[in-house]
Amino acid sequence: MTLSRKTRHPIPALALLLCLTLLLGACERPEIHRDRFLAFGTLVELNIYTADRELAARASESVRADLDYMHRAWHAWEPGPMGRTNELLATGLPFSANPSVLPLILDAQRLHEASEGLFNPAMGALFALWGFQSDDPRGPPPQPEQIRAILEQMPSMADIEIDGIRMRSHNPAVRLDLGAYAKGYGIREAMTHLRDMGVENAILNAGGDLIAIGRPGNRPWRIGVRNPDGNGVLASIEIKGDEAIFTSGDYERYYLHEGERYHHILDPRTGQPARGTRSVTVIHSDAAEADAASTALFIAGPEDWPRIAAGLGIDKVMLIDDNGLAHMTPAMERRVKFEGSAPEIRITPLP
Amino acid sequence: MMMTRADALVILLCSLLVAGSYAWLWTPAAPATQVRVVAGDREVARLPLDQPRQLEVAGPAGITLVEIRDGAVRCAASPGSQGICQQAGWLRQAGDMAVSLPNRIIIEVLGDEWVFDSVNY
Repeated sequence: MTLSRKTRHPIPALALLLCLTLLLGACERPEIHRDRFLAFGTLVELNIYTADRELAARASESVRADLDYMHRAWHAWEPGPMGRTNELLATGLPFSANPSVLPLILDAQRLHEASEGLFNPAMGALFALWGFQSDDPRGPPPQPEQIRAILEQMPSMADIEIDGIRMRSHNPAVRLDLGAYAKGYGIREAMTHLRDMGVENAILNAGGDLIAIGRPGNRPWRIGVRNPDGNGVLASIEIKGDEAIFTSGDYERYYLHEGERYHHILDPRTGQPARGTRSVTVIHSDAAEADAASTALFIAGPEDWPRIAAGLGIDKVMLIDDNGLAHMTPAMERRVKFEGSAPEIRITPLP
Repeated sequence: MMMTRADALVILLCSLLVAGSYAWLWTPAAPATQVRVVAGDREVARLPLDQPRQLEVAGPAGITLVEIRDGAVRCAASPGSQGICQQAGWLRQAGDMAVSLPNRIIIEVLGDEWVFDSVNY
């Protein structure tokens, strides 16, 4: 075959090339790969938009392994690095902090201060007293004098002195329970790992709280926000880039005792489940901060949440109060689209 | 420019191959017809939604009873003290699910027609 003969027939060659290109396109169509499994003590859902099925499978394994490791390391009431840290804090003596828990404790101190003490994971003894340090919490609620005994000791993140890797507590009542923060920190770290593996578009949802990166093709990710009364979806939110959505609700962990409902979001000022709020939803670039903020804003309640949100640097907040009124920041209002009948809305700018 | 019969045959075969692969690979997903039951880290059943049946699934806390009837599935009984698995009710849409954390069991309806990519709660 000569060069001149090749140039005489460009159409079949081009057609063949086009066919092969289209065929390859058909084989490598990107799609959303979904996986659901139990990890971190909750239901985890991983959605990855990719054409690489093998990458999606490896990513699922990575998330499982990461969350299992972090769950063991940070568990508040089972033996492990966090349990050992609590034992050493109770002695009041200085010790070298475990590297798996030190970054969390440093971050938690900063968020405790920024939230005016409403986010206070040093009150592990209070969570235990209420029966919420259990996989299946049950009543009865504690006696008022038991609660008062813990509040009088005022355990606080500020009682922990940290110098490099050395740590000590100046209050023997300090007992860490990072349940309101560890999940956000954990899925942030797991997502960072996925990025390192080459995942560019994904949602990682752990127990209803999620972090998203990228987008599935040409459209944004579509997220439903469940109604706090349990009936379907209240609103939808679109995510076009890297963001986290966290909700703290009184329906998540609770028990009933003599007709009264006791939920797990405890107010460190009263020692009681925080009242006045059904749920708080936060959109923020950092999942760990969104996790702590949703708890602190729930405790702050319908009057004080704007001040606390401003202190934490969170500008997208929706708080549903006990009367069903939706309090929102202007930035949140622009992102939320209510499904079905919208609740009454009050827009409150941050101070 | 001349095109031989062989060239035409190549184009025809390619066209058929491409059309066939698109029909095969790009067929829209069928509506939700299956339920997947996961116990711990293992899928223990994948069942059609149009055939009534009951399935007992063992977990660390006891037995979870899965019931399929009238194109839907539910968690009919489960050992958790708060009945969260049963409260999910009848599941029939793709993505619907019931979960028993104490018994480490997930019951989920499979399919591609999801309204939301993920649900925040």
